[in-house]
Amino acid sequence: MALNPPLDQAVEIEVPAAGGGWTQAVREFCRARPLGAIGAGIIVVMLVVAVAAPLLAPYDPVVNDFASMLAAPSAAHWLGTDAFGRDVLSRLIYGSRTALLVGFGASVLGATLGAVLGVASAYFGGRVDLYLQRVMDVFLSFPLIILALALVAILGNSIPNLILAIMIPMIPRSALVIRSSALAIREMPYVDAARAAGFGHGRIILRHMLPNVMASYLIMLTAFLGQAILLESSLSFLGLGVQEPIAAWGLMLRGAAVEFAEAAPWMAVFPGLAISLSVFAFNLFGDSLRDALDPRLKTQ
Amino acid sequence: MHKYLLKRFLLMLPTLFGVALVTFLLIRVIPGDVVELRYSGDRGAVSQELLDRERARIGLDQPVWKQFVTWMGGVLRFDFGTSMWTGAPIWEEIKLRFALSFQLAIMATAVAVLLAIPLGVLAALKQDTWVDYSVRVFSIAGLSMPSFWLGIVLILLLLVVFKWLPPMVYTPFWTSPTQNLAQLIWPALAVGYRYSAIATRMTRSAMLEVLREDYIRTARAKGLMQKLILSRHALKNAMLPVLTVVALEFAFLIGGLVVTEQVFNLNGIGLLFVQAVAQRDYTLLQALIMLVAGAFIVVNFMMDIAYAWLDPRIRYR
Repeated sequence: MALNPPLDQAVEIEVPAAGGGWTQAVREFCRARPLGAIGAGIIVVMLVVAVAAPLLAPYDPVVNDFASMLAAPSAAHWLGTDAFGRDVLSRLIYGSRTALLVGFGASVLGATLGAVLGVASAYFGGRVDLYLQRVMDVFLSFPLIILALALVAILGNSIPNLILAIMIPMIPRSALVIRSSALAIREMPYVDAARAAGFGHGRIILRHMLPNVMASYLIMLTAFLGQAILLESSLSFLGLGVQEPIAAWGLMLRGAAVEFAEAAPWMAVFPGLAISLSVFAFNLFGDSLRDALDPRLKTQ
Repeated sequence: MHKYLLKRFLLMLPTLFGVALVTFLLIRVIPGDVVELRYSGDRGAVSQELLDRERARIGLDQPVWKQFVTWMGGVLRFDFGTSMWTGAPIWEEIKLRFALSFQLAIMATAVAVLLAIPLGVLAALKQDTWVDYSVRVFSIAGLSMPSFWLGIVLILLLLVVFKWLPPMVYTPFWTSPTQNLAQLIWPALAVGYRYSAIATRMTRSAMLEVLREDYIRTARAKGLMQKLILSRHALKNAMLPVLTVVALEFAFLIGGLVVTEQVFNLNGIGLLFVQAVAQRDYTLLQALIMLVAGAFIVVNFMMDIAYAWLDPRIRYR
């Protein structure tokens, strides 16, 4: 899966319309950080699988087939079937859609809203900053899953609500990190210049400061992606996330998968592998990205 | 130092109050309440009067601000009241489960530290070699596996390879230590491995930073053995940020093992939390969240104090 030489990956993650600078940067990243490139490669494969799910899945992921319940892996069902006779491989393939949708939705929204709050907090400073910090402190005191659980109970468990419940606990975490990078940028001459030119607060925050905390933002975003996928699968596993019959990896591990783990281990093993592999890819990529973007961690 | 201590302490109070307020309001937004749920079995057969009487009995008929004031009054005296569902005192409900979750958190933290420090030091010493990469892959893999799945796989392996299942009923440590450890070591391994990742990373980067300091070069120049340089000079100075990460993780572990407890059939704080949400047991939920968030805030405070105590530069800032 991850054994392609790094150069292949470079071709894969190239942005089609990108100019020479981008290609160069991507190549450089792959050469210097092979682990990150492997992560990126897996992410691209996952995206392709999610988009092409109807073409790739051998069976319909939600149709029960009681003639072949709990069938072991075979030529007909590569990864076996579950307690309802549904094809595990097909459910895994469609499950990637749920994972990526919730993962990207929650982390992009959470990191972005956090970034806006963090930059605004640093920009205005004084009272605004103080009060915002105290509010963030409060939300940071709850473990991620506890807050997400409470929010799901309030909102109900459709996929958009799930995204919301996972996104909200991420906001203060992103705001905290972005604020500290924005504090340095606030002192930059170009921010003073923008203020002197009479630009509004909104414009200075969005156009002048936000683009300059991009490094921290990207680091937070990639870290959140893995966490969001894990959180979604945990909530679904508890029965509080995605609901049957929608294909979702955490949901596949619930109930029968644990009860029949000894007799039908494929039900418990493969969805967990899918979760682990995708989160692993995001973490590996994010970790390398952090090294690449954070000058303090560079090799001498 | 005293001034810094006082300032940090006073800063903790509004956060604790905020947590109490958010908790209180948040759980009341969850649709349905405990009375409605308790009688939902015989829906329709229950008169509105009975529901109203029940609500009045547990104080749910009061205006929300009044309920909050009453509850806060109790909290200040460490009196969390009685469970709205069972009627038992909250402390009775939580006591045993807390002991279990606390022990598991300690064991998982121990596993995490035992993995993280040697691996982190090793990765730092061999920076950018295959050793460094392997450590990184190993720890990121831990971070990526849902601990509940790791739990399922562990149990499955024990069953298939050793034909042995860990005990599924909780025995307090003082009753039978072997029985207790035989059950708790598996979730501790699953969770500890996962949480070692962040500490490993922290150890690595802290070590890298410290190894570039002048005093390490001095120690090397005067011919000190590598082992002594590492243990006496480098590790000691690199431990501070690692300690923070570990302590904060520990605080979160007490209440954050909701899913792991489910897999290993452990009746801890996390499972109690899920149950309390399902039953809309407001008093129990409030107490649980205050306990978990309070533990985090207090540990955070203690870490700041430890920092100031160990590193004089901070308190004069």
